[in-house]
Amino acid sequence: MDIQMSKQEGVAIVTLSGNLDGNTVNEAQEKIMPLLAPDTKSLVLDLKGCGYVSSAGLRLLLMAAKQVSGRGGTLALSGVCDEIKDVMEMTGFSNFFKSFPDINAAVAAVGKGGA
Amino acid sequence: MMLRVDLHPTHVSEDGKYHLRVGKPLPFGASIVPGGVNFSIYSRSASSCKLALFNKHEPQPFCVIPFKDEFRIGNVFTMIVFDLDYENLEYGFYMDGPFDARQGHRFDRTKVLMDPYAKAIGGRDVWGKNPDWNDIYQHRARICFDDFDWESDHPLETPIEDLIIYEMHVRGFTKHPSSGVKHPGTFAGIKEKIPYLKELGVTCVELMPIHEFDEFENSRISPATGKMLMNYWGYSNVGFFAPKAGFAATGKFGMQVDECKTLIKELHKNGIEVILDVVFNHTAEGNEKGPYISYKGIDNKTYYLLTPDGYYFNFSGCGNTLNCNNPIVRNMILDCLRYWAADYHVDGFRFDLASILGRDQNGAPMHSPPLLETLAFDPILGKCKLIAEAWDAGGLYQVGSFPAWGRWAEWNGKYRDDLRKFLKGEPGSLGGMAQRLQGSPDLYSWEGRGATASINFITAHDGFTLYDMVSYNGKHNEANGENNSDGGNDNYSWNCGWEGESTDPAVNKLRMKQMKNAVAMLLVSQGTPMILAGDEMANTQWGNNNAYCQDNEISWIDWSLLNTNKELFNFFKQMIAFRRAHPVLRSSGHFKNRDYMGSGFADITWHGQKAWNVDWSPDSRMLAFLLCGMHAKGGTVDDNSIYVAMNMHWDMHGFELPKLNHHMEWYVFANTDAEPPFDIWQPGKEVKLENQNEFLVGPRSVVILTGKDIK
Repeated sequence: MDIQMSKQEGVAIVTLSGNLDGNTVNEAQEKIMPLLAPDTKSLVLDLKGCGYVSSAGLRLLLMAAKQVSGRGGTLALSGVCDEIKDVMEMTGFSNFFKSFPDINAAVAAVGKGGA
Repeated sequence: MMLRVDLHPTHVSEDGKYHLRVGKPLPFGASIVPGGVNFSIYSRSASSCKLALFNKHEPQPFCVIPFKDEFRIGNVFTMIVFDLDYENLEYGFYMDGPFDARQGHRFDRTKVLMDPYAKAIGGRDVWGKNPDWNDIYQHRARICFDDFDWESDHPLETPIEDLIIYEMHVRGFTKHPSSGVKHPGTFAGIKEKIPYLKELGVTCVELMPIHEFDEFENSRISPATGKMLMNYWGYSNVGFFAPKAGFAATGKFGMQVDECKTLIKELHKNGIEVILDVVFNHTAEGNEKGPYISYKGIDNKTYYLLTPDGYYFNFSGCGNTLNCNNPIVRNMILDCLRYWAADYHVDGFRFDLASILGRDQNGAPMHSPPLLETLAFDPILGKCKLIAEAWDAGGLYQVGSFPAWGRWAEWNGKYRDDLRKFLKGEPGSLGGMAQRLQGSPDLYSWEGRGATASINFITAHDGFTLYDMVSYNGKHNEANGENNSDGGNDNYSWNCGWEGESTDPAVNKLRMKQMKNAVAMLLVSQGTPMILAGDEMANTQWGNNNAYCQDNEISWIDWSLLNTNKELFNFFKQMIAFRRAHPVLRSSGHFKNRDYMGSGFADITWHGQKAWNVDWSPDSRMLAFLLCGMHAKGGTVDDNSIYVAMNMHWDMHGFELPKLNHHMEWYVFANTDAEPPFDIWQPGKEVKLENQNEFLVGPRSVVILTGKDIK
């Protein structure tokens, strides 16, 4: 799994490529958690290059979203493929995320605080 | 995170790869603890035990770790293994001990055994996908996350008398291509159909077994049709704590637990309860010829009722009988139900062949079975509905006498039989029908059980569908490959003049009317009604009354029938709405047969062709009753009065209407003899009767009137 960090219009973006599963979830967690510092108000996780998110992976995303929203911030997902979206829908995870087609849309939404 | 010395490894596995420590004996099963997984398993007679760890789907374990002597506490083997990738893990046990069948022991140290407390089970991840029969571990215990976010959800705690139960098979409900859902035959498929369930108006779904079972158990080719026969119904548990992976579209990702919980959460959001059909009477291990899956190899003598020679008692008709009143098994059942109530927010349970749960360790029926009493008084199950199928395959029939402690309701088999007899016009059926309409006081008036002890149903998964009940005189189970010898013969059905599908409009018209008559009677009866999924669209199994092995169009609901039979769907929908609108139909107690509200009418009064006068003779097929609205719910709420006239004679007859108080008049809600849209009205939009003195009730017809204030 490849994990890249970037910033766009002041919003932190984590781009995850590859499979987010039991083998990679710890690495992803180590990279994402520091971004969840108390002053983080918005975060975009881009899954465009992500083909599979396992149960543990979904739990990492949920934990990150809860941490950010617990401080009044927003975490948005972008570029989620249909299959992952479908799994998230069936297993209830979609209730906890705002999802956008691409990074620009996600950044625009969280930047306004309206995600 | 604070470091805890009680979670510090004390041992290392023989290969040096895994750090270990003595585990916590409770809870049983595999639990995620900080840094590792706690494994705990009971066996009274095993001499030693090993933990086998597999990567998902791999044929051989990557590690086998013996439980050291200091890891056994009493009869429990328990150990924490640290640093496991538990998402990708499958685990099992090897148990060593005596093989002495006469003494009840059948240990085989070569078998990998599944944890009886497994919360998720792999091996049959996708329904119907051919398993690898050479796999040494067919049903594989897995570890699941128990962190589902329920938000504010909790069981609905709808009073049982207010429920309208809808019995369904998870796969059969949406598997047919006509269902139009994205993931046919799954929990997710049901979720997509929630708007439909809401429109129909049901307030509870009862799911046929969803615990992990093996659809390939006893699978074979039907000699009659050449089609594959499977264990489709699933009344044969592999594990009691795990939802069936093959019922989840996400089962292939191991996410069946989340998908099942999401379904329950969404149903609750829409005001619909969930009752699980649970099968604690036997397991999928069969008798001495059956496979080792778990219990047999862990502690055969504890888990099964055995004859003095060490063979299996077969009160279930399925090879073995779970030893329910052994304290260990009793606790497992309790743990299991508590788990489904607390972790899955399930609203209640229907116990398959529940009379077995009241047998002692020798198989004899007990007076006050400890298991049933425990369940009745358990604090965690305190608001759960407990419903018994009050008989077993060993000849115990306890409808009306199932030990209840004021908590247990029963599938009322007598309701089904008496209503069917009355519906087909069988002589001498009036007396029984009168009891059934009142919530069967003849069966349930003792110890204050009341009408809510009676789950009323005309059809269930076991037997004819409603359409088949009015279309077949006899069962047609040839496709099951047992020479039509399986399935019940006491169907009390009537084909309306032609066996099976008919092109005769008169036959089809009568069938439609009989189906309406049946559901009308069901929904004006006191007690809790249960509908079989698909009956509202006249779903057929082509006369098969025991479709347990038919994973095909015989069992799957054909949703295209909804278009063909719109009038039946509308009739069901309005009848359900009518019941929900009228508390007078939903008493928790039985009638007192007197006027304790000073209304001028007793709570229930009986009528016939003459008001206040019923012909109870054996040849009579006419009965009417009046429920006084002022007596609704024991006089605690006000309602309209309701009059129901049932003419199961083949000719039209006039029914003299009882006179209402001077400020009230009769309105027609339903008349099954009338063509749609005049067969039924929306509750509250009933039509005033021109003739307030008499109603001509058509041949084999039901009429429902409401008595309302003059506007």
